[in-house]
Amino acid sequence: MPLDIFVQILLNGILLGGIYALVAFGLSLVYGVAHILNIAHGTLLAISGVIASLIYLVTSWHPVLIIPLIVFPVFAFGYLFHAALLRPLASRGKHDETIGTVLITTGALIAMSDITGFAAGTQQRNIPVRSEMLEFGDIILPMAQIWILAGIVGLTIALHFYLKYAWFGRAVRAVTQDPFGATICGVNGPRARALTFAAGSGLVAVAGVLYALIYPVDPYMGFSLTVRAFTIIVVGGIGNLAGAMIAGLMLGVAEAFTAFLWSPKWAPAISVILLLIILVVFPRGLASWQKT
Amino acid sequence: MTSTSTTTLSTPRLVIYACGAAFVVLLASIPAFAGSYLTSFVLALMISFVLAQSWDWVNGQMGYLNLGHFAFYGIGAYAFAILLTRGVQIVPCFAAAIFFASLAALLVSLPLFRLKGDYFAFATLAIVPLCELLANNFEGLTKGSEGITLPPDYVLVPAYILAALLVALTLATTLWLMRSRFGYALRAIRNDEQVAEVAGVRLFPYKAATLMLSAAFAGLAGSIQAWQFSYIAPNTMFNLGVALVPIAGALLGGSGLLLGPLFGMVLFSSLEQALLVKMSHLREAVLGVVIILIGRFLPGGLLRAKWISRHDLLSWLSRESHFEIGGHRHATAGERLPLVHREVDTDRIVLECQGATMAFGGNVAVNNVSLKIRQGEIVGLVGPNGSGKTTLFNLISGIYRPRSGRILIEGRDIADFRADEITRLGIGRSYQIPRPFAELTVRENIAIGRTFGASKTKLLESMRTADIFANFVGLGGLLEQKAELLSLQQKKALELARALAAEPKLLLVDEVASGLSTVEIAAFVKHIRDIRDQYGITIIWVEHIFSALSQVVDRLIVLDSGAVIADAPLAEAMRDERVLTTYLGHAAGEAK
Repeated sequence: MPLDIFVQILLNGILLGGIYALVAFGLSLVYGVAHILNIAHGTLLAISGVIASLIYLVTSWHPVLIIPLIVFPVFAFGYLFHAALLRPLASRGKHDETIGTVLITTGALIAMSDITGFAAGTQQRNIPVRSEMLEFGDIILPMAQIWILAGIVGLTIALHFYLKYAWFGRAVRAVTQDPFGATICGVNGPRARALTFAAGSGLVAVAGVLYALIYPVDPYMGFSLTVRAFTIIVVGGIGNLAGAMIAGLMLGVAEAFTAFLWSPKWAPAISVILLLIILVVFPRGLASWQKT
Repeated sequence: MTSTSTTTLSTPRLVIYACGAAFVVLLASIPAFAGSYLTSFVLALMISFVLAQSWDWVNGQMGYLNLGHFAFYGIGAYAFAILLTRGVQIVPCFAAAIFFASLAALLVSLPLFRLKGDYFAFATLAIVPLCELLANNFEGLTKGSEGITLPPDYVLVPAYILAALLVALTLATTLWLMRSRFGYALRAIRNDEQVAEVAGVRLFPYKAATLMLSAAFAGLAGSIQAWQFSYIAPNTMFNLGVALVPIAGALLGGSGLLLGPLFGMVLFSSLEQALLVKMSHLREAVLGVVIILIGRFLPGGLLRAKWISRHDLLSWLSRESHFEIGGHRHATAGERLPLVHREVDTDRIVLECQGATMAFGGNVAVNNVSLKIRQGEIVGLVGPNGSGKTTLFNLISGIYRPRSGRILIEGRDIADFRADEITRLGIGRSYQIPRPFAELTVRENIAIGRTFGASKTKLLESMRTADIFANFVGLGGLLEQKAELLSLQQKKALELARALAAEPKLLLVDEVASGLSTVEIAAFVKHIRDIRDQYGITIIWVEHIFSALSQVVDRLIVLDSGAVIADAPLAEAMRDERVLTTYLGHAAGEAK
């Protein structure tokens, strides 16, 4: 393979992987703190992407302006969704709670996809921003992609420092490790969980806008992203942002090369096959090799 | 000893069988008088029920939430359709559907059963999109997204009859699971997998077999549906929205109940059909909202709702199946336990540890422990909290593997033995924090210990003799009580009974006496002595109540920071300076 093509595919993979990692951050936070397997997580991305593309279609605003327009309503929606439907399940036994969250989030996936498909149409959309091209020899990069990558990196670093040093970030990490202990130390557990769920939803809405800038979105595409995000957090470790970032980039690059070397139709299989292989090789989850 | 040996389910069996037979006859006669619209609706309903019920064997009985069950349905449909379109006879086509669905279940069970709880649920959900992808991409075999068209024969009636037979078989299998040794293995796994393994249940074969059984039924259901549809495509066979319908149906009715999945599926399918007739848009959205409402408001399902479980005539619908012995059996107070008396040969070594070491990270919990336990001994194992007593028990019962050193049971190195094999070698144990199977009755707890343990007694016989063990530990009146409702002391007593029932050669007793009153302690000490004297069982007893221990043990092994600091006859150990300073202190004075 010529070097320029190799680099081009590598960069595409990194970009894709960065977005996957962003999706995984939200899922990882929500699962780590609130213990909710949010099956509708990727669907929120799809719907945010569809709405963002519609807003762009009507207003032609700069995507940076569209992001807050999407993120705050999704954040509020996440908070209310958690408060009304998920929070009451906490009083159940473990297995019943899992069943309840699976039913509620899957029901939400089905309903949200169908409603969006009905209201906005089922066709694929995107945000067709025009962008200057940067050329390094034979390698061509749209400026937009560079800004997106920079945005992902900035968001990751901000999130990392927030979780590490801010009071609420520390509270969130405390709840992840030991909910009861955190409560004893004065953390409002239910509030931390609700806000984390909302923040995870908001994060995936950002990812949705970025995604629609590069790839087409439709109301039904979300679940395959949820599966990828799940693979990433199993590989990278629950609540481990650095791990999720590395795993996300690896997955994105692997998919980009699979699509090029083999066939685009096999690229989505990578995450599921990777997941199954990891489960066989590291039976106790990836946490086991991180510790040793 | 009098016993009326009729065994019954808690629900009136005759009524169930009569209703079941009437139901199947009624079902089978529908094509004779109904039109093809109603017939195909009932056929689809029967297929959904088979899916819901076979899914619930894995969820309701075994406690694993499998969200990929629908994939087996699709695999069955594809295997059937691919072979049928290539001119294979119809019967081998159905056989292939069963075979490939079970094979897929076997393949995925290797990685998936390494996971538990939420992780298992999520990983199984990835199976459905993977299968859709495979069906789309292997175009030579599946014709990709175009789908496969089957020969357009009119097969509604034979398909219907086949489905009705499958429904009958599904109900029969459910009944069998609720009563059989196999079913109890699953329920033990659902309640506490690690304890189930230590009780002697070999985990993986049971889990894989259950998944394969449920996949076989789903595969056959898929092939029948494909036969009747005469067209299949990836997006209908592996559709996520459709995939969760049987699961939602089973949960709507009541997972784990005999009639839960049936009841729920009838309701859910009727609703779906009504939506199909009434609405042209947003049908899926309405179904999604219904699924949300089931998840939010119906934990345990409709059949467990209060107005049913408290109704005189309906309450049996919401009762889980538990083994009960009809009539009253009066086990006399001093009745001998049905255990073989072992001849005690005090020269034989039951257990030997050679330099056993266990560390968690940098924390060495058990440090180079060497000891020998002779047959017929009662050995007290003491030491401060955190000195490694329970970790040593976990090493002996196979929950942990030693980092270095060896553990020999009757001369055999157990390095390659699983926990269930070690139990069948004759090691029984109780847990410091009691872990009975919470949702099962006292009788069932004891019977599981007996039937899966070293004694290998048949399930029915184990259920019948469970009361003798229950009496022995003072739980005689609580046989049909669920273990989760017992007090802490009763749970500890139950654990002792469960361990004894397995017919162990060596019993590991972990702090059973703490929390007992003086009188109860005296009784318990007598029990320990009786177990050794009357049945020849060797005992290692971990206990902090030294006055109790000192009444009965022959020898004392003292651990401190994971290492053996004394191993001597009781009187000698109590004079040991190190033992006095590190552990006994005032307790030694108290015992004198």
